[in-house]
Amino acid sequence: METMPLTEPVLMILLSLAEQPRHGYSILKDVEEMSAGRVVLSTGTLYGALRRLLDDDWIERLEQKDISRGKQSYRLTQRGRKNLQFEVNRLKHLTRLAHLRIAWKES
Amino acid sequence: MLTIYRRLLWLYPKTYRREFQEEMAEVLGQLHADSSKTCLLARFRFYVRESAGLIAGALRETWHQSVMRRFTVGNNFRFPKATWILMTLILAGVISAIRKGEAISVSLPHDNPAIGPIHPANTVMSGWVMSVLIMYAVGLVVGGVFFLVRRTKLGQMSGEN
Repeated sequence: METMPLTEPVLMILLSLAEQPRHGYSILKDVEEMSAGRVVLSTGTLYGALRRLLDDDWIERLEQKDISRGKQSYRLTQRGRKNLQFEVNRLKHLTRLAHLRIAWKES
Repeated sequence: MLTIYRRLLWLYPKTYRREFQEEMAEVLGQLHADSSKTCLLARFRFYVRESAGLIAGALRETWHQSVMRRFTVGNNFRFPKATWILMTLILAGVISAIRKGEAISVSLPHDNPAIGPIHPANTVMSGWVMSVLIMYAVGLVVGGVFFLVRRTKLGQMSGEN
């Protein structure tokens, strides 16, 4: 499956949702924690990314009863998980290549 | 500050607001409550980040809704029969013109005496007029096709609603 390389905020959001379904505030806090405070998303950036991911069917809203609209949770779809796996494999390959190149240069 | 955020949310397109405004307002409220416990510098950075994020997000969504969605054709879109007929007529016209040109070239004797370049009167003016007329005709045909496509698309959308 060929997809465009993901931007860091989108990758972090997907990684956050890969673990468990989360609502907006929880995603923001998890992304901040995962990146040790390096990536801090604004609400505008988060919901822009969520809208695109919903449109592309990478994530879906979790059907919950007795939950206010503000606490709406999202989860990865099958397609989103596949694309995330593809992106992680791409990054693995890139990291391996980078290690080899750096090691070759140092030797 | 929350009032300013709520006002900034109004910059977003209506459909987007209907879907996300409530959620965004709640998240902004929670983040604002968190930021009130931090130092002045951190709070200032939070205000700037959120305000810039909301403005940039609103611009992005407005662009997306006004431009991108206009050119996005749904998977179930089909050209109307009138478009197929129009396109077939245009194709038939082009093929017929090519055939006619070939027939004229065959009918001309091969041993024509060499003649110099022909300079008709008002070459520049008639050339321009012809170009404008051709472009106008092409524009009419293309416009007609787009009109039919748009009308069908709108019809389908209203049918879906």
